Amino acid sequence: MKARDLMRRDLTSVEPDTLIYEVVYLMEQSGLSTLPVVDEEGKLVGIITEHDLIHAALPEYFDMLHSISFLPNLNQIQKRLKEMAFKPVSEYMKEVTSVHLDDEDLHIADLLIRKRLKQIPVVDSEGHLVGVIRRIDILSRLIR
Amino acid sequence: MILTITLNPTLDKFYWVDHLPLSLERAEEEILIRARKSSASAGGKGINVSIFLACMGVETVAMGFLAGHTGQIILRDLLEKGVTANFVWIEGENRTNVTIIEKGKEYHPVKIHEEGPRIPSHAQEIFLRKYRRMLKRTEYVVLAGAIPPGIPETVYEELTREAKGAGVKVVIHAGRRPLWEAVKVGPFFVKPDVREELMVGDMPVRTEEEIIAAGKRAVEYGCQACLISHHVTGDVLITPEGIWEYEAKVPLTAFKNLVGADDALVGGVLYRLTQGDQLTEAVRFGMAAAVASAEIEPKMCLSPAVIEHEMRTVEVQFKEGP
Repeated sequence: MKARDLMRRDLTSVEPDTLIYEVVYLMEQSGLSTLPVVDEEGKLVGIITEHDLIHAALPEYFDMLHSISFLPNLNQIQKRLKEMAFKPVSEYMKEVTSVHLDDEDLHIADLLIRKRLKQIPVVDSEGHLVGVIRRIDILSRLIR
Repeated sequence: MILTITLNPTLDKFYWVDHLPLSLERAEEEILIRARKSSASAGGKGINVSIFLACMGVETVAMGFLAGHTGQIILRDLLEKGVTANFVWIEGENRTNVTIIEKGKEYHPVKIHEEGPRIPSHAQEIFLRKYRRMLKRTEYVVLAGAIPPGIPETVYEELTREAKGAGVKVVIHAGRRPLWEAVKVGPFFVKPDVREELMVGDMPVRTEEEIIAAGKRAVEYGCQACLISHHVTGDVLITPEGIWEYEAKVPLTAFKNLVGADDALVGGVLYRLTQGDQLTEAVRFGMAAAVASAEIEPKMCLSPAVIEHEMRTVEVQFKEGP
C-alpha cells in the first residue's frame, strides 16, 4: 500500500512566523500534538511537536537528570513558556522527515519505528504538504 | 484542484419520523416524537460540494472554520470521504442543523438551523493567508453557504477579488447580500440560494421573467453563467450566449430528501466541467445529480452511473439567444 492510500488528507499546519502561543492554541483546539510547518507556497519546511515545546521549556540540565521531580513546582517551566509565547515557530521547529505519495507502507513504517515518530507528513513531487500518516493509521490498517 | 469554502460548517442531523405533530392536543402534554431513523454527516454547502467531488474522483480541498467536538466529527467525516481538509480551528462549537422529514411529506421538511460560532478577527487573518496559498494550486473555488457571526457580509466579494486576481474561476453558491456583493465582481458561475427569500440582489425571482431579468443583470456584471431555480424541478440558465430552461420530469412525490440536492447540482456541474463538458451539458448532469440526490434518503447521490441514468429525466430547451 502506498502513502496516498494511507494518509489523512488533513492540512492543518502552521507557518514559520506563527507564534508559539498560537501553536499551543491550535494544538489544544485541534487535538493534534504534531503540526507540520509550511512556507508561503504550502511547501513543507519543518515540524513542531508538543514534545519540542515541553523540551524547550525545561531547564537545560534536564537532559542529564531525565526528571523534573527535583523542581519544587512548575513555576520555572511556566516562566520559560511565557518567554517563548511570542517567539516564532522557526526558532523551535525541527527538520522534518517526510514521505512521497507513492512511497510504500514498509518504508513508511520503517521510518516511523526507526525515528520514533508519531506521524510523518506526505508531500507531492513539488514538496507541498498533501497529508499526514500517523502510527495508528498503519496499525489500524494492519489489524483489520 | 477544486477548492471549496464553507465559512460556517455544520453537522447535518436528519430524523425520519412517521408523524410530526406540531401542536398539542392537551396543554399539559409534551410532544414526544420517536425517530424511525436518523443520521449525521458533515455539511454546509461547500463541504457538500467537496464530498460530491471527492466521490467522483476529483481532487478537492475544503476550507473554513472548525470548532469543538462538532468540528472533530465534521473533520473525521470529511477525511473518511476522501476530502482534503485545510481548516482554521477556533474556540467554541460548530453548529448543528436539524432536518425532520415526515413520512409522506418528504418535500416539506422541517429545518432548524443554528447560527454557528463567532469567528474572531485573528482567525479570519489566518484563514485569508491559507486561502491565498491554496489559490496558487486551484482551478475553481466555490464560495458557498451562510456567513457566520463576526464575518462581514462582503466577505465573498473580497474572496472573489482575490481569486480572480490569482486567475482562479469563482463559483458562488449562496444567497442574499453576500451573493450579490460578489456578483458585482463578476464570478464565473452563480447559483443563487433563494430558499429563504425569493430575491437576487434587489430583484424578485418569483416568475420566469423576473428570473431572467436577475440573471441578465448578473451577466452584465461579468458572470459567465447564472443558474436560478424556478421551482423544485426547474432551473433557468442565463449566460452571455443565451438562455436555457432545464426541467426534470419527476413527480414531487418521488423525493425523499431535498437537503443537499442543490449542492449535488453545483458539484455535478463542476465535475463535468473538469471532464471537458460544455457548460449547458454540465448543467444537465448537475440537474440529474440533484434529482438523483432528492430521490434517496442520504443527502447526496454519489453514484455516477445512477446520475447518468437520471439524465434521461432532464429536458433542456434553448429559450433565447444573446
